[in-house]
Amino acid sequence: MNAPRVLYHMVRADFLERVRRYSFLLTLAVAIYVGYAAFAEKIVLRLDDYRGIYNSAWLGALMGIVCSAFLSLIGFYVVKNSIQRDEQTRVGRVLATTPMTKRFYTFAKSISNFAVLASMVLVMAVAALLMQLLRGEDTHLHLWPLLAPLILFALPAMAFVAALAVLFETLPVLRGGVGNIVFFFLWIFLLVGGGVGSLGTGATRSTRQHFQDFTGIVAEMDDMQTAGRKIDPAYKGGSSLNIGETPPMKRFVWTGIRWTPLMLESRLFWLLAAAFVAWLASFPFHRFDPAREWALRRKSKPSPAEAATAEDQITSPQKVEHFPAHVSPLLRQGKTQRAESNPFLRLVVAELRLMLRGQRWCWYIIAAGLSIACLASPLSASRGGVLLAAWIWPILIWSQMGCREARCNTQSLIFSCERSLGRQLPALWAAGVLVALLTGGGVGIRLLLAADLHGFAAWIAGACFIPSFALACGIWSGSGKVFEAIYTVWWYIGPAHQIPGIDFMATSPASSTPGIYAVASIMLVAIAYYGRRICLGYV
Amino acid sequence: MQLVIDHVSKRYGKQTLALRNFSLQFGPGVLGLLGPNGAGKTTLMSILATITRSTEGRVTWNGADVAANPDALRATLGYLPQDFGVYPNLSAVEFLEYLAAVKGLDAKSSKQRIDELLNLVNLTDVRKRPLGGYSGGMKQRVGIAQALLNDPQLLIVDEPTAGLDPEERVRFRNLLSELSGERIVILSTHIVSDVEATATDIALIMQGSLVAHAAPEDLLRKVEGKVWEWVIPSADFNSVRHQHLISNTSRRSDGVHARVLGVTPPNGAQPVTPNLEDAYLYCLSQRRAGAFA
Repeated sequence: MNAPRVLYHMVRADFLERVRRYSFLLTLAVAIYVGYAAFAEKIVLRLDDYRGIYNSAWLGALMGIVCSAFLSLIGFYVVKNSIQRDEQTRVGRVLATTPMTKRFYTFAKSISNFAVLASMVLVMAVAALLMQLLRGEDTHLHLWPLLAPLILFALPAMAFVAALAVLFETLPVLRGGVGNIVFFFLWIFLLVGGGVGSLGTGATRSTRQHFQDFTGIVAEMDDMQTAGRKIDPAYKGGSSLNIGETPPMKRFVWTGIRWTPLMLESRLFWLLAAAFVAWLASFPFHRFDPAREWALRRKSKPSPAEAATAEDQITSPQKVEHFPAHVSPLLRQGKTQRAESNPFLRLVVAELRLMLRGQRWCWYIIAAGLSIACLASPLSASRGGVLLAAWIWPILIWSQMGCREARCNTQSLIFSCERSLGRQLPALWAAGVLVALLTGGGVGIRLLLAADLHGFAAWIAGACFIPSFALACGIWSGSGKVFEAIYTVWWYIGPAHQIPGIDFMATSPASSTPGIYAVASIMLVAIAYYGRRICLGYV
Repeated sequence: MQLVIDHVSKRYGKQTLALRNFSLQFGPGVLGLLGPNGAGKTTLMSILATITRSTEGRVTWNGADVAANPDALRATLGYLPQDFGVYPNLSAVEFLEYLAAVKGLDAKSSKQRIDELLNLVNLTDVRKRPLGGYSGGMKQRVGIAQALLNDPQLLIVDEPTAGLDPEERVRFRNLLSELSGERIVILSTHIVSDVEATATDIALIMQGSLVAHAAPEDLLRKVEGKVWEWVIPSADFNSVRHQHLISNTSRRSDGVHARVLGVTPPNGAQPVTPNLEDAYLYCLSQRRAGAFA
């Protein structure tokens, strides 16, 4: 086997397959928008009242930090589907019959993931270059200061994220929605571990801190702060990446990062870490063994005896003779009978049952525990921490709303049914709301008992908003990943920190804005409805 | 009960024309839709099943435009797609109960219906097993059961016997024949023997166009006197097969017995009774030659 050639073709094919999908174009559009936002000073890197003039060094550092801060998070969700795609397309089974080793495959997939992320970094590099020329604050183009932060900071971080995505895909527990949520907290942990919190103290960073800084943000900011202190003794060492705020008025010239051997060694460390993670991923990788794939998919496995009996009965020729090919006509109900059972309610129950099936027993126990805790805890705790937990717990159930049909390839069965749009979609939404009411219902009851109607309205708006958001994300993206990623981040930033305006759970009276989320729910349902209309060919 | 396909065309992008000005009308019975891969069968099925819309032309069900009011057809439609999925965590019963609810059937009659259908497709004993553990053939039978849930007046089945073992295939053919009395069944396949066993009408489709629409007997009549059995020495077979249209071969002690289609018999060939596969291949070859009328 000519390993480099095989590796090249594997990476190339995988890369081309991805970049020719609309989802990649969408991601690329987001990367371009971020570049534009930086150009328009909607994203500003500032040192208290200062920002650097837009020369090659500052813009390179700005884009490097933007890549490290955003792309290391979003990029994971973008690339965490390469093995899954090989499963779905059955290409994996073809690859499994070749001499390719497991290690080779996970390594190739990591490189392919990296290539996708690197292409986005490239977009940011071009954006930085254009920015410098268009802004004209310093027209002298210096390629190395411009590209170095992207090459030495952003790319190793991307390599690590790319390999992590492969590892998550090979681990049964992390390959689905749980992994999407776990990564967000892992990402927070890595940022904090990198010393983001210690920025601005002016203290010399230890060798260990250098190596823990996986994005390189701390090293970059640290270098800028040192420069800042030299030009203004009054500068207190603050630095931040601001979005949507007024840019600082004072400017200074920053000539670029003073690269030290320790910095370079730490970046090399993260590259090696990426290679190690890719190697690690080869151990749990199932190599597309259908038996192992099947076992991963299944929650309850029949006994071999049961399976054997079933197959025997099905293929036995004698049995065929005992089952005549006959089916009696369906007794269609008349108008009077139709009134006895409500087809919509039956469908809501069916959708709810479909949503709740397939969880492990401990999931139901915890959900029930949270539901009871919502009712039994003091109102402030119930509305805060308990509701927070109660409404993150079913995230993987909500994330399947609107995309289950695509994921399980049942669209043609569901969408060819009568009133699919007018009955099934509202039933699905209602079932999603019911999940919110079942898990966090105690808070609503407590608020009603306390006669807190504003709080109750905010709570009910939250209960409607979550499934509406999930439904819209599911229908438009065709995957649960978008909802899982955005909802987790939003849940952490908004409700968990009780930030007014973005606290859709209304975890405190001060942060509740029921009107906004009631309107948002209606709009999201309308967006979902329109998306489904397109799926059904009405538009 | 009448389904009319009126000058329907379907275009994908700017280059691909999957259906070209396709017209056909039919009433109760089994319509076998035959054609080679990529002929446009599945596109036509999708349009008839209201999954996709035609670019031009219209389809009417009992006089009503299907595109304008798809629910009128959907209420009486049973559809088995060529490629479909199931919810792996649900059992066969639960999956059918779910689809019965989506189709708007009431609980009592759907329960009875589901029991009967599971018995019919021979899945009663595994009815409570999660569908994720079913084999391809078992899933196909669940698909057959769901298509019959609402006792459809129009039953569209796209490659229904794919993945079924021979016994199940025979059973499904019998079922289609029984169902055809008071409803329209459209059976799309490239397995000629399935059509031969069940179809009351046959439509041949190629490159998105209708090649022929006739009763099986009429199609057979077209190739009457044009099918020959020719015994060829094994050594000569390779050179001969490029010069004649051959529908079937079998190797025997005296050489290769080939079924040759053509107006003039090869030297020494004997006439044989044509079958539907001969008629199908002959019609397609004539179409390719641009001479079929």
